[in-house]
Amino acid sequence: MTEAHTVGAAEAGRTADPTTRPRSLAGDAWRDLRRNPIFWVSLILVLVVTAMAIVPGLFTPNDPLDCTLSRQHAGPSGAAVFGYDFQGCDVYARAVYGARASLLVGVLSAALTGVIAVVVGMLAGYFGRWVDAALSRVVDIVLGIPLLLAAIVLLKRIDSDNPTVRIGAVVFVLAILGWTTAARVIRSSVISAKQQDYVAAARMLGAGNGRTMWRHILPNSLAPVIVVLTIALGSFIAAEATLSFLGIGLRAPTVSWGIDIDSGRTHMRESAVPLVVPSTFLALTVLAFIMLGDAIRDAFDPKLR
Amino acid sequence: MQVRRLAAWTALPLAAALGLAACGGGDSGESNANGVVSVQIGEPQHLIPTNSNESSGNQVLSALFTPLVKFDAQNKPYEVAAESITSTDNKVWTIKLKDGFTFHNGEKVTADSYINAWNYGAYGPNGQGNSYFFEKIAGYDDMQAEDPDGDGPQRAPEPKAKTLSGLKKVDDLTFTVTLSKPYSEFKAVLGYNAFYPLPQAAFSAPGVLKEDFEQAPIGNGPFKMKGTWQHDAKIEVERYDAYPLDKPKISGAEFRIYQQLTAAYADVLSDNLDVIVTVPTENLSTAESDLGDRLQKSPNSSFQFIAFPTYQKEFSNPDVRKAVSMAIDRDEIVKSIFKDSQVSARSFVSPVVAGYRDNTCGEACEFDPAKAKALYQAAGGPAQLKITYNGDGGHKDWVDATCNQIKANLGIDCVGVAEPKFSDLLTKIKAKEPVGLIRMGWLMDYPSMENYLGPIYSTNGSSNYYGYSNPEFDQLVADGAAAATPEEAIKKYQQAEEILAKDMPVIPLRFGQNVFAHSTKVKNVEVDLFQVVDMTKIEAVS
Amino acid sequence: MFRYIVRRLLQMVLAFFGTTLIVYALMFAGQGDPIQALAGERPVSAAQRAYLTEKFHLDQHGVGGFFYRYADYVTNLLRGDLGESLTGRKIGDILAQAWPVTAKLALIGLLVAIIIGVTCGVVAGIRRGGVFDNATLVLTLLVLGVPTIVLAPLAQYLLGVKLSLFPPTAGADPSLYALLLPGIVLGCLSLATALRLTRTSVAENLRSDYVRTAKAKGLPTRRVVGVHVLRNSLIPVITFLGVELGNLMGGAIITEGVFNIPGVGFNLFRAIRTEDGPLVVGLVSVLVVVYLVSNLVVDVLYAVLDPRIRYE
Repeated sequence: MTEAHTVGAAEAGRTADPTTRPRSLAGDAWRDLRRNPIFWVSLILVLVVTAMAIVPGLFTPNDPLDCTLSRQHAGPSGAAVFGYDFQGCDVYARAVYGARASLLVGVLSAALTGVIAVVVGMLAGYFGRWVDAALSRVVDIVLGIPLLLAAIVLLKRIDSDNPTVRIGAVVFVLAILGWTTAARVIRSSVISAKQQDYVAAARMLGAGNGRTMWRHILPNSLAPVIVVLTIALGSFIAAEATLSFLGIGLRAPTVSWGIDIDSGRTHMRESAVPLVVPSTFLALTVLAFIMLGDAIRDAFDPKLR
Repeated sequence: MQVRRLAAWTALPLAAALGLAACGGGDSGESNANGVVSVQIGEPQHLIPTNSNESSGNQVLSALFTPLVKFDAQNKPYEVAAESITSTDNKVWTIKLKDGFTFHNGEKVTADSYINAWNYGAYGPNGQGNSYFFEKIAGYDDMQAEDPDGDGPQRAPEPKAKTLSGLKKVDDLTFTVTLSKPYSEFKAVLGYNAFYPLPQAAFSAPGVLKEDFEQAPIGNGPFKMKGTWQHDAKIEVERYDAYPLDKPKISGAEFRIYQQLTAAYADVLSDNLDVIVTVPTENLSTAESDLGDRLQKSPNSSFQFIAFPTYQKEFSNPDVRKAVSMAIDRDEIVKSIFKDSQVSARSFVSPVVAGYRDNTCGEACEFDPAKAKALYQAAGGPAQLKITYNGDGGHKDWVDATCNQIKANLGIDCVGVAEPKFSDLLTKIKAKEPVGLIRMGWLMDYPSMENYLGPIYSTNGSSNYYGYSNPEFDQLVADGAAAATPEEAIKKYQQAEEILAKDMPVIPLRFGQNVFAHSTKVKNVEVDLFQVVDMTKIEAVS
Repeated sequence: MFRYIVRRLLQMVLAFFGTTLIVYALMFAGQGDPIQALAGERPVSAAQRAYLTEKFHLDQHGVGGFFYRYADYVTNLLRGDLGESLTGRKIGDILAQAWPVTAKLALIGLLVAIIIGVTCGVVAGIRRGGVFDNATLVLTLLVLGVPTIVLAPLAQYLLGVKLSLFPPTAGADPSLYALLLPGIVLGCLSLATALRLTRTSVAENLRSDYVRTAKAKGLPTRRVVGVHVLRNSLIPVITFLGVELGNLMGGAIITEGVFNIPGVGFNLFRAIRTEDGPLVVGLVSVLVVVYLVSNLVVDVLYAVLDPRIRYE
């Protein structure tokens, strides 16, 4: 949501009187948002998933690690609403407990990716010339490094079983190699925004580089990169499973949607439920973030008034 | 990215085509002698007989070459390319060859074809993977060089000899093999593909193999190469008309290379591929309904177990190891995870070798949660266990299930930890890192109890990665190898196995089976103990 | 513009060696025991170890050893020799086999993303909030909730095995038709991203000042959208697609595995797993050229799409 505030403040900067700007625009936006059902639905979804990540015990009394083969693929019952998976674990309980790792990996990787991408893309696009040459070649070099190679080299060294350490390491690797597409996209929007009349106007009025980038160009260049990042959020969650499967990602007893989707896939012809449940949780979470982003952006966009 | 590698196993399957069990199923239809069948393999590592030691390469070589001996239904060796293999003292063996064998280039197969091939394989600097098969032959040590500084910059000096002093040509069709020590089961060892002959045409100079020989190997077998090895795609062979023994019932075969078994399985379902040698575990539960009686099983030599690294002191009490073993319900895992494609193991040697006895492990392999828990607590086992496995072998499901059982039955914590690949696991073991229990597997080189004991539990065993050492055990295995008759050897080996049952250095879990399937276009598909399809028996249906 | 391109080509050389140096360093740093990795679970004899160590200079340790091996790679490369993989095959041969099939596969994936993704994205962007727009959102979520790892085997089973519409696997030398299903599967995630990206860009540009100006001037909507909006909206989209071309080539590991295509992704995966340094660097050498060239083409296209963008 921080991007949204930036957008709001920045948009305000060029449309309204400096003394009154933050309140009126934010106030307008809030009034808009309150009336927008999509905003409420997505906000509630995000809050529910976040609550699941923080206190999973509120959502299910069952232990996701209590598995026994005698219950393999047993159907739904009072004890387990979605039944049991291949190992005889409660499908629903695992999806609830998987929220923490998956949300952390997805959101943190996307956020870190966004920060790197915005800084690099903005500087390269805005200054052009040798700054662009240097930064863009860095992008090219990072693009050429296979994720799997870097992940194996960097993560193999981490021997800790501590879930926080492992999640942090996975986030680091995904972000450090995953920011390039977003950086190229934001660079492209900056290059294109730089040509707009209002930028020229702002500069003529004496706005410095920093102010021009931050207040005028960034807000108008964010839309595409937000799209790339929300989708990346979903694929980061899936990528974590790949790393975990290879033994360099998260480790048992940490539960995650990615890991469960992966093992659900192997047995999908026997029972699809253990695959569908974590997939749905993942899709709904991404949906929530996409809608929330859309709603907030619209609310703050003066052009829509 | 979860590429399930075609199982890269511990050991070295034999190429001998073996007429074992596989019942033909309810095949019908006319046999078509002009048919071509396709068989799934992985990309072979090598197609040089002395360098190929995984089942894909061995499958191709088994079509191109004929071994000296094959194995009968009791897994006893019988002569094929050899006329006779005899010895009076188990030390000097006389091998007489059948007349009439020619290589695919027309060259006659002679005693020299064998001697040259074996010398090449045994010579250390050639770096052949099957070199160790020749170590029982006199003069082997002189062909190896000791690197003065391990992997360091100094080059190893040239070995003392370039040929095995134990190999002597008698006449064109006869030669003798002198072993450094008597070994009663040498005849069975000769079934492995390391002992195939090579034609003169394979060598560019004496002892120097032509660089591109393995792109189109020339053998003495029922099929010859059609074109060259098309890497990552296929290897095609066609019937060799001058073959002196029973001719194949098809005109040729295509060994199609698959990266993933699931892809091959999909192709068999749609009749795009004729034979899949290993039905992937994830398809087992639906395979029966997908394929009906085209899904078949036959015994193989694989053995799955869990080992305890000896450097981790918390496992040093045999009672701890025994308690863990008793907490595992093998039958439930075999049924639920493997859908009965493997069988529970309660012995240390596979049922496919002579001398196997059921349940030598005794009480330690009986599932008894109450006793296990009491024993574990009394022995002071650790409060947390982990089972480390290689993530590329499809082991996650059963390791997790085993851990869940241990957790429930011993009331302790247990997690399965994946390492990217087996060599990473070995690196950790060498560095004496606390890896916990380790997942192991074994395939035999030749049908003998010794092969299930020596390499994996002797103090200097080549695959004894976990450091088990018991001088009494070593002595019994050595005594067995030196025994005058196979029967006496088996007695010694059985005594050695009893020591294992007492010490429990590993927990036996399962014996494998071939679970293979074929399309509607072939019949008479048989897969032998070494996971190789018998290419002389398979028939195409028109 | 010409001078800009020449300058970029010179920078490319630097970027090329930068990437290969880093990849070489990563392989070197991550090297556990490549000889054992090649052997799988089988024990490796001392003689075999000595033979392979010498053949591939694996005994060159430390920083000196690293530069020795990298220099070795560069000199051989300049002579046109990519060297030999640890499996003994010529890397040139492996590349010659893997690249054509992967290029075809990636182009199919990219075409799917362009044709379906961009078209639907434009429509969704114009009718923002409509039924069609929401349908594309659902499609996006489906692609994310059903990742390639699920989609590929599912498509293979349903369309390949059950309905027999496509061959279930493609193999090493496939027809274009056999590559269609894997190409579509591969292109799905790119499709979703391209679609959302186009939609957002179009929607954004439709509200911009110049569209209002153009409309005020009385230009027909069709022309405004077709010429002005689309041109500007395409800038982020082609940027994304330019990068995605390389991603599709190097990252098709799952798709190539499921459909048994021995392409670049699969070879890269295998080479990384077996610590086959020379092969990894060989594959990456070509991959990085793809990224460099497609990014250059995209940058040049900016100036075509928006004449106000100039390169000096």
